[in-house]
Amino acid sequence: MTAQFGYPEDREERSAAQVRALEALLIEKGVIGSGTVDKVLGYFESEMTPLNGQKIVARAWTDPDFARLLATDTPAAVAELDLPLGMAGAEGEHLAAVLNEPGVHNLVICTLCSCFPWPVLGLPPYWYKDPVFRARAAREPRTVLGELGVALDPDTEVRVWDASGHSRWFVVPARPAGTDGMSEAELAALVTTESMIGVALADTPA
Amino acid sequence: MKLQHHLGGLEGLTEPIDFEKRVFVQDWERRIFGIHAAMMGLSDSLRGAVPDYDLDAVPTAFASTWTWADLRKGAEAMNPFAYFQYRYYEKWLGGITAYLVEQGYVDESALAAATEEYRADPDAALPTRDGAAIDEQVIRYLREGDSPRRGPATPAFAVGDRVLVGDPPAGEHTRLPGYLRGRPGTVARVFEGNYAYFCSTGADGLGEPVPVYVVRFEPADIWGSRAEPNPGPVFADIYQTYLSPSPAPAQEGDR
Repeated sequence: MTAQFGYPEDREERSAAQVRALEALLIEKGVIGSGTVDKVLGYFESEMTPLNGQKIVARAWTDPDFARLLATDTPAAVAELDLPLGMAGAEGEHLAAVLNEPGVHNLVICTLCSCFPWPVLGLPPYWYKDPVFRARAAREPRTVLGELGVALDPDTEVRVWDASGHSRWFVVPARPAGTDGMSEAELAALVTTESMIGVALADTPA
Repeated sequence: MKLQHHLGGLEGLTEPIDFEKRVFVQDWERRIFGIHAAMMGLSDSLRGAVPDYDLDAVPTAFASTWTWADLRKGAEAMNPFAYFQYRYYEKWLGGITAYLVEQGYVDESALAAATEEYRADPDAALPTRDGAAIDEQVIRYLREGDSPRRGPATPAFAVGDRVLVGDPPAGEHTRLPGYLRGRPGTVARVFEGNYAYFCSTGADGLGEPVPVYVVRFEPADIWGSRAEPNPGPVFADIYQTYLSPSPAPAQEGDR
């Protein structure tokens, strides 16, 4: 955020008190219970996390049949894995994976809001929701990727996926070199949230 | 024209990307997210959902519709400069508060008073109310979702067809990115099934189930000479409502 606006010094304290008051009044009114918000947060913190996406990517790296199914029928492929119940739940109703391949790098954005595949990646990080990223990545994705440290060959095509409809896209990054013989669990540890949106490559083994 | 509908491609934002990887940068942001998700899980609109949610069995005082469309309408209704002024969850807090006041769930003066109390004592406890049945519905909603898919696909276009994106008036809400308006593209994928939207968007055209396509747009057709070096294609889900046939294939550099 820019510093050009005159924010009150107690900006965060005001918001914190307002949201606390809102929650209190909703509980008093009987809209929600005392523990509803904690239940929601616990669900995302414990079950709907990038660990799910990491497992999907690691399986795609080790099982070509799975990778093919993931590309053509993402929900069916995801349903094959032993993941928490809810992969087709809120913001996962229509998952759609796009696979990086030699000569193709995919980048997912949402220029209208912040659509994000919650069940496989968890909740969106701040950079994804930032208006500057959303504006710039649409027209100059290669430039933005370069700034973020993703050096692509000039011949590599950058494909941008703007989540304007029901699909919730995520990227299967390319498998890094030097990972032959690694287990799925070891491979999964190389997969970051950023790489599954396309603003990073998968980590290389230490 | 609303800036919020035309963010994609907006120029002059030359500063580097703020690569903040946290989901929440303030603790309070978690709470407004949780309130939003709970309201979605209790929304009256879920009576028409594909999963057979039994909202009558849920002892909540919430009897209104709260969907992504409602949250988005709030953000799209903002003064565009204020849209840039506020951080992501500040916009949520403003929009959700305004909605709850307008719908009568929260009294404005009671909110002001309670806000003062929590300002004075941030650690003051929340009221106690057993919400087990409410929580159960909210979590069930999160696990089972609210797919907009309705009925078999009735596509007017096939993969490879050239299409032209319309430019319908965007009132309070649209799902058509501004930078794609009036642009030609090629159908890359026809989704199975038709897809409804949470609400009618009026003259914009969404609501009833329609086919949806992945449409591929060539950078020259969108950005012309303002495309970056070695530009690549943009793909977007486009509702059929927004599309018409494009008679002529685009020429290189054609706008």
